[in-house]
Amino acid sequence: MSLLRVESVSRRFGSLIAVNGVSMVVEPGELRAVIGPNGAGKTTFFNLISGFFPPSSGRILFEEHDITALTPDRRVTLGMARTFQITEIFPELTVRENLRIPVEVAAGHRLRPWLSRAAGGEVIARVGELLDMGALTDKADRLVGELSHGDQRATEIMMSLALKPRLLLLDEPTAGMGDQETYDITRLIRRLHREQKLTIVLIEHDMRVVFHLADRIMVLAEGAVLAEGTPSEIGVNERVQAAYLGKAA
Amino acid sequence: MTQLILFNVFNGLIIGAFYALMALGLSLILNLTGVINFAHGGFLAIGAYLAYALIPYIGFWGALAVAPLLTAVIGLAVERFLIRRVYGRDPLYSLLLTFGLAFIFEDGTRYIWGPQTLPFSVPSWLNRPLSSDFFFLTGYRLFMVLLVLVAVIALFVILNRTRLGMRIRAGTTDLETVSVLGVNVRLLRNLNFGLGIYLAGLAGVLAAGMLGLQPTIGSSLIMPSFVAIIVGGLGSLPGTLLGGLLIGVASGVVTVYFPSASEAVIYVMMGLVLLIRPRGLLGEEGRVQ
Amino acid sequence: MNGSNKRAGDALVWLLLLTMPYWLHWVGGYTSLGTQVVVLALAAMSLNFLLGFTGVLSFGHAAFFGLGAYGVGMTIKYLVASTPLGMLVGVLVGTLAAGVIGALIVKLRGVYFAMVTIAFGQVFYFIAYRWNSVTGGDDGLAGWRRVPLHFGAHVIDILHNDRVFYYLVLICFAVSVAIMAALLRSPFGRTLLAIRENERRARFLGIPVDRHIWLSFVISCFFVSLAGTLYALLNNFADPHDLHWEQSGNFVIMAVLGGMRSFWGPLIGAAIFVLLQDYISSMTDNWQFFIGLFFVLVVLYFPRGVLGMIRRKAAQ
Repeated sequence: MSLLRVESVSRRFGSLIAVNGVSMVVEPGELRAVIGPNGAGKTTFFNLISGFFPPSSGRILFEEHDITALTPDRRVTLGMARTFQITEIFPELTVRENLRIPVEVAAGHRLRPWLSRAAGGEVIARVGELLDMGALTDKADRLVGELSHGDQRATEIMMSLALKPRLLLLDEPTAGMGDQETYDITRLIRRLHREQKLTIVLIEHDMRVVFHLADRIMVLAEGAVLAEGTPSEIGVNERVQAAYLGKAA
Repeated sequence: MTQLILFNVFNGLIIGAFYALMALGLSLILNLTGVINFAHGGFLAIGAYLAYALIPYIGFWGALAVAPLLTAVIGLAVERFLIRRVYGRDPLYSLLLTFGLAFIFEDGTRYIWGPQTLPFSVPSWLNRPLSSDFFFLTGYRLFMVLLVLVAVIALFVILNRTRLGMRIRAGTTDLETVSVLGVNVRLLRNLNFGLGIYLAGLAGVLAAGMLGLQPTIGSSLIMPSFVAIIVGGLGSLPGTLLGGLLIGVASGVVTVYFPSASEAVIYVMMGLVLLIRPRGLLGEEGRVQ
Repeated sequence: MNGSNKRAGDALVWLLLLTMPYWLHWVGGYTSLGTQVVVLALAAMSLNFLLGFTGVLSFGHAAFFGLGAYGVGMTIKYLVASTPLGMLVGVLVGTLAAGVIGALIVKLRGVYFAMVTIAFGQVFYFIAYRWNSVTGGDDGLAGWRRVPLHFGAHVIDILHNDRVFYYLVLICFAVSVAIMAALLRSPFGRTLLAIRENERRARFLGIPVDRHIWLSFVISCFFVSLAGTLYALLNNFADPHDLHWEQSGNFVIMAVLGGMRSFWGPLIGAAIFVLLQDYISSMTDNWQFFIGLFFVLVVLYFPRGVLGMIRRKAAQ
């Protein structure tokens, strides 16, 4: 059973076709990269998968369930989590508080007006694990809004992980980062993939990261799939090269 | 019976045109800057009272021409020194600010001119009915409709044919891009506000002629403007116009059958719209979120 | 604010509230003024549950405050002369209305939400004003009084004894405040904070945002309608102006003045506001002007409120 099956989705905004008949199948345990020049429709594609808005046509199936009409929060409940190009966290709460919320949601405590001591203890323990994994323990009680870009992104990734997703969508996780931070985030993602056996789909512009991490790559250009294959296949694909280098505005 | 219904529909249309005029000014400000100008009623009252003060010197027509302009100038000053300071912040603050201004204006006019209803003299030839069959077609009412029509047309001409208007419309869609393109956003917001207040001032002069002049004239008219915007559609000026006319006519028609419910029908319409189409009849998707 | 500071602050607040009837007249006040502060503080804190902690801009809370007021008044006047029953009716009516209205408007956001809450507030004002055969119209609902509580042979005279009534109000306040505080500290409360901080992120963490906003709205209106019943009982009178947008604005300014982001902020804001309004209206007829001026000044110069400013100073 494939984890994610996107069947020929399209999305138009008025007369602009941002995503044009894109299909994708992701198997459990894969790490898939989605690349393409600017304006190729990558983030719109992610928005469709995560439920930010519905597709104009096409279907999306998650673990063979049709989720096309589901709201984002419902998709999260089914096991999908995502990060955003511009980090979306809770800036005026501490890292610990930021992590606590998804941990509680994942444990089913969303509506609980009261938590037993035992349950509370479990939450705290889990938050501690996540802090460790993301190398955030020493910053746990600082406001996330005050942290460096890299730490904010790490927090966001750990928040998504807290949801115990089976599919993690990362939208340009290394955007705006220097070499060291890129290296740290890449290592984190690799660890998550290996240790947590997480299926990951990521949008990236940094080719070093893509070729380092990805099992398979899908190339989007002008809203449609240009090519798909292993990193070595994509690396020598002339159309891909043309799309990146020869593309006029 | 027909004449009674016609009377009330026409009356409703006039009231509606009037609500629309006021709501358009409110909508203009709201769409560009996201500020709910709760003081809009206060500006309406200022327009009315300024006209009252000017009539002995320059007559009704002079006051009609000048008072809205003066009110707009006050509006420009208020925007420049007060409202501008809360733009970047949580919308809570602009609402509180305009709330406060509404109190200040209402009590201010009460202090200066007193709480009693003042006589507002409209040229007598305007008040004569134009026809014995349609006795309700007094010149003043017809004049009001015509004036509102002229104002609305002028507004749409400004918005669609002048540079200022185009910038306002562009800014309503995306203020950041507009500023990046070199438009002076501060000035734009300021002038837009002034334009909205001009409409309020104009509405004030007209209202005084029809409803009589008292300090509460503004606050009694602001709620229908709100409802006009909600019904007609958030972010849409044609919607606001439609909304105002609709609630006016609905109100007028209901008066025939249930006189005491004429105000209530406005809120009923609002409830219906929210239930069936929360973004309003002509509202744009995405404006609501 | 660290833990022990907070506990000390809480203790101080309760101490002052518990002993208010005894020290208030030393500073020129009187017991029912103190009662008024506590009632309005409850209203402002209830509003702040929604405004300061969930980040939802509601400007129509006076509607539910007023429903509570008229509910208790009309019950005592026309149905049963029982204070607890009247309060129950008032709270029920207010909460039910909130449930219905909340469901209608929950998809709206920001200024549009605010506009609609104001409009709905006016609906109830209009009803209270027009239906004067029942509600007394502009004159308000008079001709009824709070009924002493009978427990078998024992009578608690809340009617003639201001001090006793104050303590009844304080009990209601304490219970309400304790519940709200507990809710805010719970996982549910944290989802509300999440919604305030970043609604998009909250949604993408699996929080059904609209539903939680509705819940916060209903909870907030539950307590504000309770405050409304207490207010009417305090005055033996229900006033249509309690339903007016002016009153809604007052609640908001109390929350902002005291500090929206802190729990006790609205209490401080209510105290300052009540005292200020009392003082100004005794000096001039044009108190509305000065209240308006006050709003403007708070927005321009004091947006974080008293506790917000203190917190800032402490952090520096």
